[in-house]
Amino acid sequence: MIHTQSTMDHQENNFVLEVKGLNVFYGTFQAVKDVSFEVKPGEIFGLLGPNGAGKTSTLSSIEGLIKAQSGSITVAGYNAAEKPRYARASIGVQLQFTSFQPELTVSEIVRLYAGIYGVAMPQEKLIDLLQAIKLEDAGSKKFGQLSGGQQQRVSLAIATLHNPSLVLLDEPTSGLDPQSRRQLWERMEAMRENGHAVILTTHSMEEAEAVCDRVAIIDHGKLIAIDTPQNLIDRHCNQPEVIKVSRRGKITLEDVFIGLTGSTIRL
Amino acid sequence: MSSSDLPVVQSDYKNMEINIPKTSMAFAALLRADLTTQWRNRRSFVLVLLVPVIILISWKSVIDKLGGAFALSSCMTIGLVAIGLMGYSNSIARDRDKGIFQRLRVAPMPLWCIMASRLSVQLMMILLLTIIVFIAGYYIDHITIAPVGYALTFFTALIGGAVYLGIGQVIVGLIKNPETVNSTSRLIYFIFIMVGMFGEFGLLGEQIKKMAVWSPYGTVKHVISAGMEPGKWNGETSIALLVTLGYAIIFSAIGIKKFKWDSR
Repeated sequence: MIHTQSTMDHQENNFVLEVKGLNVFYGTFQAVKDVSFEVKPGEIFGLLGPNGAGKTSTLSSIEGLIKAQSGSITVAGYNAAEKPRYARASIGVQLQFTSFQPELTVSEIVRLYAGIYGVAMPQEKLIDLLQAIKLEDAGSKKFGQLSGGQQQRVSLAIATLHNPSLVLLDEPTSGLDPQSRRQLWERMEAMRENGHAVILTTHSMEEAEAVCDRVAIIDHGKLIAIDTPQNLIDRHCNQPEVIKVSRRGKITLEDVFIGLTGSTIRL
Repeated sequence: MSSSDLPVVQSDYKNMEINIPKTSMAFAALLRADLTTQWRNRRSFVLVLLVPVIILISWKSVIDKLGGAFALSSCMTIGLVAIGLMGYSNSIARDRDKGIFQRLRVAPMPLWCIMASRLSVQLMMILLLTIIVFIAGYYIDHITIAPVGYALTFFTALIGGAVYLGIGQVIVGLIKNPETVNSTSRLIYFIFIMVGMFGEFGLLGEQIKKMAVWSPYGTVKHVISAGMEPGKWNGETSIALLVTLGYAIIFSAIGIKKFKWDSR
């Protein structure tokens, strides 16, 4: 038996995700400083920032992997602190450093997560899922035997197995070839068309410009800008620090990003 | 790939139903996966089960002198050390380093399911080890014990196994790097076997012999041996049982307290 509950009863507004005044500390180091934002259904939201800016810490707080010292996170109407299992059941996750048991085959991994998320997975449904991600012949292959692109497809299929209202993708295209990256973008766009909200962290400004409806730029733990990529470009295109780093005569999101966060390399 | 290739999703997210899987369903899925992983991880599987059998074969000529219960309990204790130190701690360290636990932690199930499933597999390994040592003891060395001894040994082996699983938990609690966990667990395994077995025989001196008797190796072996011959259970055995339980509780408590789900 599976406990089911419609999110309708718990939905007070139209946001899939609401983050309010989030603060995350590691010891005395504050990784996230008073971050607030919302994500709407059917939106691809990019979380951008240099290395160590606080993107993964923000995402980890939403996923429930780390505990925020203060602030609130509401997923599909459920307060993540008060109803963590309901909040987690509303989220599909592809972590930055995720792997599955290398001894298990792709089919076994899908069945494992179907069981964990309470999704029935008869053989026909499994075959359909593997066909949808073009891995119909790889069901009996072990996860470690797949290419990077194939692993990403399995990982994304598992993230969306339970039809979550919010999908979190932490640098999903890093290390992928252009073909696999384009395929992943199309899958994200398909999720958006189906009403799912997607949060994406990436270091690729080209990717953010290509697929994100809105982006938030985080630096030193603080949210320093949030808008559509084009609005951010329009708003900051005349700033001297943005013009200074522009390379092609035309201001891009990358120029705005570097202009706002600085040229210093972060470790 | 076009959007039509994708699994069907609903367009109105407000009407999407939240599925909170029953804990038993999630646990069953985890247990199935962990058992499969254990079954396919043949190296540690063989190491755990084969070493005690090899010892039984090598002791064939001295079984009459050592006694059946002594031989069987020594072999089981060595197997239990291997389960806790070589099997459990290394698999936990590896999966933690690969991010497998982090992926499981974001799922809507209680956290204890993850470790309970792992421990259930190890408990099954302990029962399997006990059965194999009994069978090997019977066929190789013709060792037989009273039926109640067989039944009691399953319980004492589980208690003894808990000590080494606790030590394994301490190792992964204190050390994050999987290679360091591997080398540390091998070193501790070697020390336990050397000090335990040779110390018990008095080959390392009287002081080491006394220490070996009350070490985790010594108390576990004592309790398992007494479980095989309940008639010989005495006050010292009861103290050994209490010490064994104490070791299990202390090591497990430290291991759980220090454990981090992420190695980064």
